Parts: sequence; structure tokens; C-alpha cells
Amino acid sequence: MASNTTSTHPSGRIKFIGELGAALRAQQPLFVGLCVIAVLWQVSTYFLPRIIAPPLQEIGVAMWQIFSDYQQFVHLLTTGLRVFVALIVSFIVGSILGIAMGTFDEVSKYAKPMLHFIQGIPALSWVVFAVIWFANVELRIGFILLIVTMPAFALYIDGAVRSVNLDFVHLGQAFRANWTQRFRMITIPAIVPEVMSAWVVNLGAGVRVAMVAELIGSTTGVGFQLLNAQALFDMAGAIAWTLSLVALLSVYLGVIRFVESRLLAWRPKGERQ
Amino acid sequence: MTGPAPILFANVSKTFFKHDGTPFFACRELSFEVKAREIVAIVGETGCGKSTSFNMLLGLQKPDVGDIQVLGLDPFSESDALRGQVGIIFQSDRLLPWRTTIENISFGLEVLNIPLTQRRQTAGKWLERVGLKGFEDAYPHELSGGMRQRVSIARAFAIEPKILYADEAFTALDELTAERIRKDLLELIRETAITTLFITHSVSEAVDIAQRVLVFGRPGCLICEINCEENRAAGKSTHEIEQLIRQGLRVAHKTMSAEGAGEGVATDEVVRAEGSTSKGREPI
Repeated sequence: MASNTTSTHPSGRIKFIGELGAALRAQQPLFVGLCVIAVLWQVSTYFLPRIIAPPLQEIGVAMWQIFSDYQQFVHLLTTGLRVFVALIVSFIVGSILGIAMGTFDEVSKYAKPMLHFIQGIPALSWVVFAVIWFANVELRIGFILLIVTMPAFALYIDGAVRSVNLDFVHLGQAFRANWTQRFRMITIPAIVPEVMSAWVVNLGAGVRVAMVAELIGSTTGVGFQLLNAQALFDMAGAIAWTLSLVALLSVYLGVIRFVESRLLAWRPKGERQ
Repeated sequence: MTGPAPILFANVSKTFFKHDGTPFFACRELSFEVKAREIVAIVGETGCGKSTSFNMLLGLQKPDVGDIQVLGLDPFSESDALRGQVGIIFQSDRLLPWRTTIENISFGLEVLNIPLTQRRQTAGKWLERVGLKGFEDAYPHELSGGMRQRVSIARAFAIEPKILYADEAFTALDELTAERIRKDLLELIRETAITTLFITHSVSEAVDIAQRVLVFGRPGCLICEINCEENRAAGKSTHEIEQLIRQGLRVAHKTMSAEGAGEGVATDEVVRAEGSTSKGREPI
């Protein structure tokens, strides 16, 4: 793959700042939308009871507490780490399976129906199963995240391997590249766009499932904090934890987009997301 | 031009099957050879087995019957032994979109496990040779069609192969660009004295580049061969040689029309006429 790292040369820095500015400008509709929601919310607080619609200041204080108090922040970190580790493991397992499926029809023939079956089972059912099967909380949550996100990785990668341009495969064969070389020089770069899409899809799914898993089967994490907020009828706290989670998701998404922009720098601008 | 032929087709047949199970003969008892340092062109109408022959030469397909040898090796079963021996220029440039120009040219060198510094050096030399200096870090989508094809030519030559295959290398280009690149390619072929087999639809292109032209008919059989050099030596003009090839193509077309798509033609009769060696029912 082409190396395309950010240059330390002043012109490189200027380019990077320019790219950052463009990225922020692209997010303008999101900022506008958030402002509209905030205004509507604040207006509604004048008409609705505090327990239903706490004012923005109260939510802000609750959020500040989450980020300033390590005892609370650690819950956000825990959820973040769980999602991160589980997605990495899920990606590794899914990649191996997906590549095997994409390469060998026999593997695909047996694995695909199984993956579709797993995907058909609601995430909540897996949570219940995991609570019964595993005593260890981390194992429980890890299992749920793995079982929910791995099939998508495998199926995405299977599809990507199958759709590698045959012209490129023949190019490799014509130059007598061996299987490993063809895999490294052709297959891997060709499937990167699909892999990145799988990450984006699975990140959202992973965070949602982690939430449910923590809500039911854990005493740590954002899910558990949401359960506490519900028990205490602490609407501001519930919103603050939710927003923290959204912030975490946005950070992860930003990292994925950054990696994607580096790995897919070869694409014409119009084709980049 | 002595010694064993680097490319040899001996009674090669290849049959595919349609969805309903009926056989489709892509090649039937095809025999020809390309001698060392010779430049040979294959011309023929669509569906006359040019691409199948090309794929079999590349080792992508195995013949059902007959023997194919490239540098004395079977390109299908002894594929690894031919690594680095054959350079290929495809109809579409087949540049890997995620690789820069220099990385695309290095492709074959990377397959040969040449160290990075050396392959960048070699690729750089070829990049300059095809007139693309300054485009080292450009991605394929940033290049024009002609430039892309030049990169693919550089990629083929960078491994310093003993044989060059070109499959309708200029079809995707406009006439002017094709002519320019064709001229440069011919210069490279002559300079490197490489054994060359190229497939083309264009009769003038075949006469322009090749020393010998093989006219293919359906299903994948040799209708006739025209030795351009001998004909030139005999005083024939380029136009007359082109006419000879066109005559061959007409015979191929007639045979195809008479026999129907996918049906065979008799190849047991060999007739010599007007500077061509003809294999078929009608003498040229």
C-alpha cells in the first residue's frame, strides 16, 4: 500500500490544518441540528416537569461530573475499553472466517447459513444466554459483543474477497505471484473499503449491545450507570451518560474515519466518504 | 533465430461447455510457434480463440488436449518456474488503483522479491524510459489512458522478461495515442530484442509491428500465417501485405459463417498461395 503519512514540512502542516477545517465544515449540519435540539429541549423545560425534561444546565453539570470525577469517568472508560477490545477480537475472528469463506466455497457453504442464523437471534436473547452461561462479567459482555458483531465482519469480508476485481487477480497470476503475494498485494488493499464499512457498522452495533449487556449483566460501565439513573429517576444523569456515550462513539468513529482516510488516500476525492 | 522456440503450441484444443451442456470449441488442434526474438502478431475476429490462447499461455487455463510450452516449460503446471520470464501488457492497463505509478511498475519486481531500494531504482528507470518522469507518486486515476498504458508497458519490461505478451494493448486508446505508444513499444521491443507475441484486431497494427502474422479463425485454429519480412523482401508493399492478411480474415469469416459459431473447421489441408501459408478449405 502506498505510504501517505502527514508530512512535518510546513506545507504538510498547512495541508493538514486545511483538511481539518474542511472536515469541521462538513460537520456544520450536525452542529446546527444539535443546536436546534438543544434550543427545543430548553424551551420544553419551561413547560414540562423537571423529572421529565431537566434544564440544559443540570445536564451540563451531570456531564461535567462524569468527565471530572475519575470514579464516574472510569465507567465510561470501561465501556469504551470493552467495546474496543471486543471489536478487535471480533475483527480478527471475523477476518479469518471471512477470508476463508471468500476463498473456499466449501467453508462459505457451511459458515454462511450459520452466521445468518446467529444474526437472526436478537441481541437481547444473547444477553440473557450470556448471563446464564457465564459468571464472569467481562467474559459475559465480551461474548455478547463477539457474537453480535463478528458475523457482520465475516460476511462483509467474505463479500469483499469475492468481489476483488478478477482482472487484478489474473494480473497477479500472470506475473506468477504466489498465493501469499496475491493476498498481500491485491486482496488486502482491495478489501480495505469494505473492512472500513464493516467497522463503522459494527461500532454502532457494538456500543448499543454493550449498553444492553451492561444494563442487565454488569455492575460497571455506562449501561450500569444508566440503570442507576433509572432507579433514582435521575433524568439529567441518564441524559448525561447517554451523551457521554455518544461522545465516545464519535471519538471512535473519528479514529475510524482518520484511518480510512489514510488507507484510502488513493481513491479519487468523489469516491471518498 | 535459432534454437528451440520460446513459445510452442502443439495440437492444442480447449472446449468450454454452455449452460445447456453443449460444447463450445474455443481452440481446436491449434499449432504454432514463436521463435526466439521473433515478433509475432495474432489477428482474428472476435471469438476466434485469441483470448483463450492468451490465457493458456499465461497459465490461467489448461488445454484439454495438446502441448503448450513457454521457454520449454508448461505454463500451467510449471507456472512458478516462469516467474519473471514473461512480461504482460493487457488490453486494459490493470494498474492497481491503490498503488502509485512507481509502485505499479514495481509490481513484478516485488513478486520477484527484489529489495525495495533496488526495485524503486529499476521502476524509476523504466518510468523515465516511458516518458513519465515526474509522475512517480501519481495514482492511476490521476493519469490519462495513454499514460496508464505506458505505466503498464513499463511494468511489463521492468522485470526484464524473456518473452512479452500483449493482448490488444492499444484497443482502449484513441488512434493518435495508440500510434504514439505503439511506436515507443516497438522501439522498446527492438531495443531489448525480446520475443514478442501480441494479439490485435488491427491489421495495420499487426503489419506495423510484427515480423509474422498468424490469422486465427473460429474455433481457435490457424487459418494462415503471413511472413511480413519475407513478403517485404519479395518486394511487397505494406498495403499488399495488409491485403494478404485481410484475405486470410475473409477466409476465416467465410468458414465461420458456413460452419456456424462454435463449430469446427477442417484443418487438414495446407495450401500455399501468394506469400502466405494457408490452413483451411479455401486457398488464399
